[in-house]
Amino acid sequence: MNDFRVTKPKFFATTKKGENYELRADLNSEYRDRRKDAIKKVIANMTVGKDVSGLFPEVLKNMQTEDLEQKKLVYLYLMNYAKTQPELVILAVNTFVKDTDDINPLIRALAIRTMGCIRVEKIIDYLCEPLRKCLKDDNPYVRKTAAICVAKLYDLNPELATENGFVAVLQDMVSDANPMVVANAVTALAEINEASTTKDIFVINTPTLTKLLVALNECTEWGRIAILTALADYRPSDSKEAEHIVERVIPQFQHVNGSVVLSAIKVVMIYMRIIKTDEMLRQLVRKMAPPLVTLLASAPEVQYVALRNINLILQKRSDILQNEIRVFFCKYNDPPYVKLEKLEIMIKLANDKNVDQLLSELKEYASEVDVDFVRKSVRAIGQCAIKIDEASERCINVLLDLINTKVNYVVQEAIIVIKDIFRKYPNNYEGIIPTLCQNLEVLDEPEAKASLIWIIGEYAERIENADELLVTFLDTFRDENSQVQLQLVTATVKLFLKKPQATQNIVWRLLQIATSECDNPDIRDRAYVYWRLLSTDPQAAKAVVLSDRPVISVQGNTLSGPLLEELINNISTLASVYHKPPETFLGRGRFGADAVQRRAIEEQEEASRESPIQAQVKTNIENLLDLDFNDNSATPTSNTPPSSSKSTNATANVDDLLDLFGGSNMNNDLSTPLQSSSSNNHQNNGLTNDLVSLF
Amino acid sequence: MGAILSRVLGRLWGEKEVRILILGLDGAGKTTILYRLQIGEVVTTIPTIGFNVETVTYKNIKFQVWDLGGQTSIRPYWRCYYANTDAVIYVVDSVDRDRMSTSKEELHAMLDEEELRDAALLVFANKQDMVGAMSAAEVSDALGLGTLKNRQWSIYKTSAVKGDGLTEGLDWLVNIIRGNEQ
Repeated sequence: MNDFRVTKPKFFATTKKGENYELRADLNSEYRDRRKDAIKKVIANMTVGKDVSGLFPEVLKNMQTEDLEQKKLVYLYLMNYAKTQPELVILAVNTFVKDTDDINPLIRALAIRTMGCIRVEKIIDYLCEPLRKCLKDDNPYVRKTAAICVAKLYDLNPELATENGFVAVLQDMVSDANPMVVANAVTALAEINEASTTKDIFVINTPTLTKLLVALNECTEWGRIAILTALADYRPSDSKEAEHIVERVIPQFQHVNGSVVLSAIKVVMIYMRIIKTDEMLRQLVRKMAPPLVTLLASAPEVQYVALRNINLILQKRSDILQNEIRVFFCKYNDPPYVKLEKLEIMIKLANDKNVDQLLSELKEYASEVDVDFVRKSVRAIGQCAIKIDEASERCINVLLDLINTKVNYVVQEAIIVIKDIFRKYPNNYEGIIPTLCQNLEVLDEPEAKASLIWIIGEYAERIENADELLVTFLDTFRDENSQVQLQLVTATVKLFLKKPQATQNIVWRLLQIATSECDNPDIRDRAYVYWRLLSTDPQAAKAVVLSDRPVISVQGNTLSGPLLEELINNISTLASVYHKPPETFLGRGRFGADAVQRRAIEEQEEASRESPIQAQVKTNIENLLDLDFNDNSATPTSNTPPSSSKSTNATANVDDLLDLFGGSNMNNDLSTPLQSSSSNNHQNNGLTNDLVSLF
Repeated sequence: MGAILSRVLGRLWGEKEVRILILGLDGAGKTTILYRLQIGEVVTTIPTIGFNVETVTYKNIKFQVWDLGGQTSIRPYWRCYYANTDAVIYVVDSVDRDRMSTSKEELHAMLDEEELRDAALLVFANKQDMVGAMSAAEVSDALGLGTLKNRQWSIYKTSAVKGDGLTEGLDWLVNIIRGNEQ
């Protein structure tokens, strides 16, 4: 043995034993102070990311101590490294159990909290007895800590938590005398309820409701949020009960914490669906405005969250904040994301009373340096014009002023916007067309170019040199963006229909190029359609191309009804900031697999009965399409009733889905791809069987 | 000179503690002994999953007494506690004749550990208040204490519940520790 040692290479041998070695020696020291210093060093190393998990047993040995500071440090270490040493954690059990019997409630709570945080299977069995004790503790601080611990236990082992009656104890705790305990019990129950399969664990009834309302005013902000969130899920039986609850919730509007305020607003917004009294509704609308305004005095990040939520609230109740538009005027030092959000809200709040004020503000923004913001501001002016009939002329004047600044991107944006105004108020403002045409050369963005070409085509009969203007594009037709090309084809045909004499040549040349030299099938097809129409029946062509277009309006509500309702239910959460339902961005966490399955099933159901949400989204998309390509006046889509077009869209979607799964031969069974995707994730027998039976 | 220095250091670091482990199979009475030593009372105990540690001052010596759980699942972790140990108190349930051989195996396995080379061994033949308890000599034989070499050891018959024998054992320990220091 010794011989081997001599011949062994020395590269790995080192006289230095390393820091952990020294720490280990100190942790085992006979001197109390030295041990404590060593623990502090270990924690320091832990916080900077050095691996000190190897010292686990030595640190653990210092767990039993009179010194609260040291105890806390060791507990901290335990929480961090228990996962790496699941076998050794068992050595801590006795100390935990002893500490939950300590005379100091702080230590009792600390022990039960840490025990819950150590998510190691081995320790769960030993958790039950101390937990039972702590749930019945005399001290509310211990009880409230234990309440959260139940939720943690449930997450690890639902059966154990239920069988030991912890969930039942939690349900009783909602009636606890201490408001903080009530709040934590509510938090824990809500979490358990969400994780449970039956969803019947947390049901609010009349006695608990009273307790919750009493506790609401007495607990911390976390507790208030928990209770308010619970109330938001509760459905009052009638208008009277809803009014009663709302009255108790309204004082929370005054709370300094923005999240409490938003949670309270959520509850009120939801209950307003049930409240029938007009007087009460009016009062609520009035009372909701000041807290929302106050939120805008917070830090930019909070402002942004508030603004996104206000955006939702306004889509549901446009009468809130009616007189508060000034609050949303941008400050020069607002971050861009706040500015853009404020713009959107300003447009929502615009009316004939405040439009002058708003226009001068927007004009001011249009001269700022942030290009993106300037563009959005110009767009906002256009939306004002479309929204408020009386203000359209003033808006046009502002836009003309802006065009005269000759700032390239302002001009382009203004022209895009004016196209929409022309569309809304046909034949009202053609006087400005010459001014617009002067800027034809400076336009380099496809959308702006396409917009101006649309205007030329639309008013071809009023523009003397329309043919000249369009001819200039003929030579460069091949190089243009497809959007511009489409507009050119349509505008030229319009021109021909309006002034057939001089323009025959242009139309012929253009259609020639478009049909023979264009690679884009859309353009080619449209050119062919026009060509056929023109050659067979010019009158029919006129009826199709020059027909009246549907009126456009500002999309006050950018979200569909059902989606909006769902987002209102989620005010003050991430969903309300994203404006997306929570399922779309959650589900990769603890309940990932469940969520995927649930979603798959939902989608299945949705697709089968063509849920209103999807349909609404579809129509919205169509509207957007209409706005963008508003030239092809009489295309079949805009003439067909929305219902049929939405169903075609839906089936098209389904086809896409099926294509995705490479199963075009399964067209008859819509549910197939969804099922296969979910059964991939879980070895769910039933679903797998379905799959198998397919083959 | 060295004595002065160590005294100064002693002030600086606080009092030095003598580390004692109480080991033995489950149900031998380790936890009861620990608290009998510390507070002089019999406490109701539950099986120790892990350890207890208490400071006991006896005859001006500050003992840090570790009581480790004796269940089969925890015995492998005893080794985590061996470092810097001055003495081991090995507790045997004198009535439990069936597991005496297990107790012997655990004892010898423990004593073979390098870290415990210099530790003194004090065996308590516990539960002498019960009928059918083995005598100290019988226990000593059963544990094979006679075969131990290079080890300061002693055996006392005790009753943790009545408090018999504990102080005698501790006195022996104090003498050993005082002797080692000089």
